[in-house]
Amino acid sequence: MTRRAASALTRADFRNASGVLLVLRDPPPPPPPAPGQPPAVPGNPAEGPEILLAVWDDGSVTALNGHVDLGTGIRTALAQIAADELDVAFESVEMVLGDTTRAPNQGATIASASIQIHAAPLRNAAAQARAWLLEQAAARLGVPAGALQVEAGMVRSTDDPARCVAYAGLVAGHHVELMLSADVALKTPDQYRVVGRSVPRVDIPAKATGETVFVHDMRVPGMLHGRVVRPPWSGADHGPFIGHSLESVDEASIARIPGVVAVVVIRDFVGVVAEREDQAERAMRELKVSWKPWPALPQLSDLEQAIRDNPSKRRVAIEQGDVDAALAGAATTLARTYVWPYQMHASIGPSCALADWRGDRLAVWAGTQYPHALRADLAKLTGLPETAIDLIRMEASGCYGRNCADDVAADAALLSKAVGRPVRVQLTREQEHLWEPKGAAQLMDVSGGLDADGRVIAYDFRTAYPSNGAVTLALLLTGAVPPEPVAYEMGDRTSVPPYRYPHLRVSIDDMAPILRASWLRGVSALPNSFAHESWIDEAASAAGVDPVEYRLRHLEDPRAAELIRATAERAGWIAHTQPMQRAAEGDLLKGQGFAWARYVHSRFPGYGAAWAAWVADVEVNRITGEVHVSRVVVGHDAGLMINPAGVKHQIHGNVVQTTSRALKEQVRTDPATNTVAAREWGSYPILSFREVPVIEVMMMPRPDQPPQGAGESSSVPGTAAIANAIFDATGVRFRKPPFTPEVVRAALNPPPPEPAEPPKPRRRWWARAGALAAGLVALGGAAFGWKPAIAPVTRPDPSIWTAPTIERGRQLAAAGDCVVCHTAPGGAPNAGGRAIDTPFGVVYATNLTPDPETGIGNWSFSAFQRAMREGISRDGHRLFPAFPYTAFTRVTDDDLTALYAYLMSQPAVRAEVPESKLAFPFGVRPLMAVWNALYLEPGPVSPDPSRSAQWNRGEYLVNGLGHCGACHTPRNAAGAERRGEAWLAGAMVDGWEAPALTAASRAPVPWTEGDLYDYLRTGLSMRHGAANGPMGPVVRELSQLPDADVRAIAHYLASFSTQADAGQAEAAARAAIERARAQSATLVGSAQRMFERACGACHHDGDAPVETGRNIPLALAASLHGDRPDNLVRTILEGIREPATPAIGHMPAFAGSLDDVQVAELAAWMRRRFAPDKPAWPALAEAAARIRAAPSSH
Amino acid sequence: MQPEGDPIEFTVNGRPHRLRVPADAPLLGVLRNDLGLNGPKYGCGLGQCGACTVLLDGKVARACVIPVGAVAGRRVVTLEGLGSRDAMHPVQKAFVDAQAAQCGYCLNGMIMSTVALLSRQPRPTEAQVRDALSHNLCRCGTHLEILEAVRLAAERMAAEARQ
Repeated sequence: MTRRAASALTRADFRNASGVLLVLRDPPPPPPPAPGQPPAVPGNPAEGPEILLAVWDDGSVTALNGHVDLGTGIRTALAQIAADELDVAFESVEMVLGDTTRAPNQGATIASASIQIHAAPLRNAAAQARAWLLEQAAARLGVPAGALQVEAGMVRSTDDPARCVAYAGLVAGHHVELMLSADVALKTPDQYRVVGRSVPRVDIPAKATGETVFVHDMRVPGMLHGRVVRPPWSGADHGPFIGHSLESVDEASIARIPGVVAVVVIRDFVGVVAEREDQAERAMRELKVSWKPWPALPQLSDLEQAIRDNPSKRRVAIEQGDVDAALAGAATTLARTYVWPYQMHASIGPSCALADWRGDRLAVWAGTQYPHALRADLAKLTGLPETAIDLIRMEASGCYGRNCADDVAADAALLSKAVGRPVRVQLTREQEHLWEPKGAAQLMDVSGGLDADGRVIAYDFRTAYPSNGAVTLALLLTGAVPPEPVAYEMGDRTSVPPYRYPHLRVSIDDMAPILRASWLRGVSALPNSFAHESWIDEAASAAGVDPVEYRLRHLEDPRAAELIRATAERAGWIAHTQPMQRAAEGDLLKGQGFAWARYVHSRFPGYGAAWAAWVADVEVNRITGEVHVSRVVVGHDAGLMINPAGVKHQIHGNVVQTTSRALKEQVRTDPATNTVAAREWGSYPILSFREVPVIEVMMMPRPDQPPQGAGESSSVPGTAAIANAIFDATGVRFRKPPFTPEVVRAALNPPPPEPAEPPKPRRRWWARAGALAAGLVALGGAAFGWKPAIAPVTRPDPSIWTAPTIERGRQLAAAGDCVVCHTAPGGAPNAGGRAIDTPFGVVYATNLTPDPETGIGNWSFSAFQRAMREGISRDGHRLFPAFPYTAFTRVTDDDLTALYAYLMSQPAVRAEVPESKLAFPFGVRPLMAVWNALYLEPGPVSPDPSRSAQWNRGEYLVNGLGHCGACHTPRNAAGAERRGEAWLAGAMVDGWEAPALTAASRAPVPWTEGDLYDYLRTGLSMRHGAANGPMGPVVRELSQLPDADVRAIAHYLASFSTQADAGQAEAAARAAIERARAQSATLVGSAQRMFERACGACHHDGDAPVETGRNIPLALAASLHGDRPDNLVRTILEGIREPATPAIGHMPAFAGSLDDVQVAELAAWMRRRFAPDKPAWPALAEAAARIRAAPSSH
Repeated sequence: MQPEGDPIEFTVNGRPHRLRVPADAPLLGVLRNDLGLNGPKYGCGLGQCGACTVLLDGKVARACVIPVGAVAGRRVVTLEGLGSRDAMHPVQKAFVDAQAAQCGYCLNGMIMSTVALLSRQPRPTEAQVRDALSHNLCRCGTHLEILEAVRLAAERMAAEARQ
């Protein structure tokens, strides 16, 4: 049974309940306006007093707080505070966080302030409730309150423990309301029993077992699924074009998708709603939306310049002494610029929300950081009063500031309002990456001066932070909020250096965002501290003093000094006055770096949170430039820790995330449009398990000091500590994170020479088609072309053929892949209609079913035989050689009979087929007679007596029904398969390269007969790769053939190349893999990271997860060794949707997630890495664009 | 793949299902929406992050990239199929005991991948664990607690196996 503490779902439920003690407060008055700060949404008096605490008559307690748990564990910590102050068992407390229907309005969950500041009212309420309960108990038991003690909600007389009464009993039958009063004694730290203990987090069991916890898991009856379509200017959030960009939405483009309920268009807001999530997803992807051109966005290739060019307003926070004069008189001046990149929250779960519009009320389940502000946004968006909106805060994927959680809630509200039903909206990975308000780039200029003794005497610090709170997208897209460049005054977090610098000036250039940006863990403090703590390291080096010692010399804060000393000692800090004092191990340079900070958040001068100090140990590979953070020792002083294990986990998280940000993270932008160009994890890699450092946490024991925010503090000094360690290792100072291998390598070594120019690609065979076509016309005469019709017959009764004949026909049809070409996508088998793209135009496959009018039902065997042998239809018109009668002509009469028997015994399907339209002269069917005269060698042919029966069987299948040459043989200008050496030597078909089956094969491992057999039988060979594209259906058809036939095909094909045995092939394969592996060390960089994160889960050298599906070594994959990149690029773009056999596994399509430049970067890297002996492919981005524009039908 | 419209039969958490759903719909959506399961999570749709991990015939599979038609006749196990809050699988229990979650969104993938790892390698080294989880992304930085959870689970399961 639900306990009472969990049963009250609205404020009224609390206020109307009996058997409860409530502690209430009036909504605090609106805070004074703070220019340039995030807006504070005041409580609404119309909703009555806010509830902070409820003690119920079943012994349960509801504790309410306006903040939300972003994965930091405050649900547990706040319950500990309430339980301790009230003297109840921890388990009896039910925490209610953030939702507008019940919780107090305590502003946004930001700045690590939940425990340090916003726990106070709850704690106060708990103390007040306890005092009232004790008073009641005193009266009830006839014992003075001072002679009572409480444990787990049971009040006892100290003298006579048998005299007792429970809290539950004291509130039974009553409804008591106390207004919050500060006039109550709080416990002192020595009285804490629950606070200060590492109580296990209350939310983890549900998360570990899949209970409904996350907003993503919310489902209500009648719920529909929504998706949004975002504009193309991803990342822009101001400019007059916003809200005026949409040109048109073509609803007809998704008319064929079942289940679509609505397409919702409000100015630039576009959304779709469907019954099923897969339908909504498909509708989103296929809806044709046109956007007007938009103006150029600011250039972002040079971030420093972009920030300098962004209009700003200077605000001087501190000016002490005479900085300019002191700088002029300094013995040494150090002017340095530090540039911080755009970074992402990169939440693992893209944001999601559910909205239920009921006409006069709206309920929204969301993962917001600030429920009350979101509710105000939704009111603005929908026209409802705030009091008609219930915002229920569910847990969401971790965010470290403002991600798209609010955006998607507004999207859901609009879609639900449009359809009048509950709508769940899930953003895609691409949308979250593109549109989340980024952690802002930042520019810090420092001019500092040292006196003759090396002490800092002057410090002039300027920081520029292009960010605001990021207006909720739907408000901008629908025009509810004007798209103006608004600046927030938030660059001042930790902008004041924590040292005694006698002449000091700190100024902040407030500026509007360039890319849509908001707060991300540490906000502007991370960059500011990075500059302060890098600069003082530079100064220490210039002064020839150990960096830790140098800091201590400039420090006045004794608590900080104690932390610094303790951390350095714990880490085994190696004092040094110059870098590069430690011996290298091979190519690995070792270094140690120090930095510390006290996170000062909120409006200047702000609040100090916890102190944190880092000692980072790094290893830098001087050849590749890779930086490995091997160990981090963090000293941390958070005062009293409510839940020490929780604080420790937060520190671990901060260290991992900061290491990731420092080493890897930077938002990619499109060089042409300056929009965000990272849509998936390959283009925005984050730290993986392999790279996580050893982390040692040392927490200062300060239970007597008030708790300090611990959610972000340990992030703040991290990047400087790593930069300082890299300096120690290499002697090179890096002032622009991230410290990627390419950046470090470039600083340590000159770049390696570019690879030699690759050879020009072969001319395409059809390029010469036009010239020869004219010759054909000259040679031909229309009179050649005419052939008589063969009289129609009544469809023969299939019972005239024996079952074995029909069965043999079925196998022959499979060998001939009839169904592959003669079936339209989604259509009935063999009913025709599939469009086959040829260089001469589109040919539509005919209907092979025995329908008398649209199929071959009225064809006699003779008509069938003539078509197969000569390419002439029953009515006498000539067929195009896209129908491979040049191969089928070799089929024996017996086999033709069986095939005919099979086709005639299949169900008739009436299906008209579009007429094929070819370019002149190929469209002139009679001219095909000339073509046939030139290129058709009429069959059947006799076996070669000098060869074995198996070889002859293989030859017959390959060159007859199997018509392998149709795809694998290059064609001449007239479209005929070439002979001689070109036979089966590889060609392009339907946008795929059909590789050479002969000695011309580019495969790094010779094909053995066994490998050929494996490949044809199972669709994959571990030494060559998997059948993909048009070969997939071929393998599926071949699966119907007897083993002996497949062996015969393999035997025949193997006879083309020098035979290798399995052992030799295996050795060659191992050598190729080794050759490729040897490349890895020299190819470290952004493409390698993209491959690692985008592809590496499935494609790896055996040192990563074992996934369903085959991990064929890419060093052996045919697609990487071909002369053309088409197969690789097409596979990246289109994925593998229908693997030839299930064992191969599926591959996602990356067309929506990687742009042409990224595909080119990836393919070029893969070629160098996995086919190192092959030349680079030229013009890959152009190839990607071309292949993207012509999707394959396979 | 089965043609659209034909029911697809497969087993989820030991129970047979026969669903008339589009064969090309991602398995992930079918598990979540048609079967009401919360364990597998949508993270990227590209098989990169591992949040959607399920076991397919005992092997780790990324449910976001597998069309439901491809699991016809196969066995799917989700987080819910391992154990419940009252009767947790030892790996789930180890994750709770090691407090190996911050936001917990990646937890499904971490637990499922660990179950698969320990079934083929009962006593993995730390390097093996890091390799096996190297394509399960966690943004909160819970890696150390997760490594501890895997170690704890391996120890306990090995001890159980000895008894």
